[in-house]
Amino acid sequence: MLKKELLELCLLQLLSQGDRYGYEVLTPLRAAFPDTQESAIYALLRGLGKEKYTEWYMAPGGGGPDRKYYKLTPAGRERLELLRADWQHMRDAISSFGVE
Amino acid sequence: MGRVKKVKPLTREQYLKKFSRAVRWRLPPTEAEEAIADYRELIFRPERDEKMLVEELGEPIHAANLLTDGTAYRRWLKVFAVLSFGLLLLAKWAWTAHSPLNIMGYGPYWYPVWVMAVSLPLSLYWFRRHGQKNGPLSGWLVPALAVVLAYGVGTLAWTWYVMEPEVLRNFAEAQPGAIPWQVVLLRELLVNGSVAFAVIAFVALLLSKCSDRRWLALYLLCLTLAAMFGFVELNLVRMDLSVPGPEVMQSYLFSRILPLGIVGLIGTGGALC
Repeated sequence: MLKKELLELCLLQLLSQGDRYGYEVLTPLRAAFPDTQESAIYALLRGLGKEKYTEWYMAPGGGGPDRKYYKLTPAGRERLELLRADWQHMRDAISSFGVE
Repeated sequence: MGRVKKVKPLTREQYLKKFSRAVRWRLPPTEAEEAIADYRELIFRPERDEKMLVEELGEPIHAANLLTDGTAYRRWLKVFAVLSFGLLLLAKWAWTAHSPLNIMGYGPYWYPVWVMAVSLPLSLYWFRRHGQKNGPLSGWLVPALAVVLAYGVGTLAWTWYVMEPEVLRNFAEAQPGAIPWQVVLLRELLVNGSVAFAVIAFVALLLSKCSDRRWLALYLLCLTLAAMFGFVELNLVRMDLSVPGPEVMQSYLFSRILPLGIVGLIGTGGALC
């Protein structure tokens, strides 16, 4: 599993917990992967939209102008399940070598 | 020891400007505007530290690169290279009134027509398929088209007048061996017009990609006129005004450039739709 797929897994997992606007997605991911720039995470977010794993809509945001909220599509949920399975398989494989 | 690349700090406005420019060049207009709107929201958040902008978001060009579909972008660069090279040739032939090429025995005066024959369908196909309209029509486009068209029609009307068999005969009789001012003016109109049209067409090509595909109408109109002017100019260069040619010169030229003009105008109209 590549780092890009790990990021994708985390991003889809975040969106599975509820709709979020761009900054709410980027900030925790950047905190978790500090060597990854926000532009890379944003590119990934856009890529997921192109693949129809996510959709966006405009909604009022905390007193300011409307914000773009991202949400998971059914295809995105399937993709999340697939990545979770991959991740568990990889974790089990690594654990079998005694890596904790 | 490896050298650490120093990150040049940018203000929010500078960052957005650089990013916008890069992204408009690489992505289709609608996608580019979407990305710019998203970045504007990210950049202008109050909690964002301006000094850390490049460090957190990455260099603007790099950020735009990450959003680029490499295959589509490379295809665009190839199309852009072909179209730009065509304009460069039109300007060069107009300026020098000469081409050292000799392709399959065709006279050089046909070369501008060949450039048009390649560039018109290629650009129309590309922008109809990959370009995008972006909001209402720019307020500059129609006046620009009108000015270019007026110059083109004016120059062609002058060409028609100068190429009248009667007028040409008068020139030859009045000042044998000398070039009358009417012909000198025509040459200046053709040469400077062609070069100016090539430059305007290049700018219109950039705007078609970065702003709105309907700017292609200006590119096509300039391309058509530059090709017509090139055809006339290169024909005039090869013709000797003192031989019997003048009787047929007007009908010869206009029977060839008028179909070009009609095709170009249809293309221009098509690009506006």
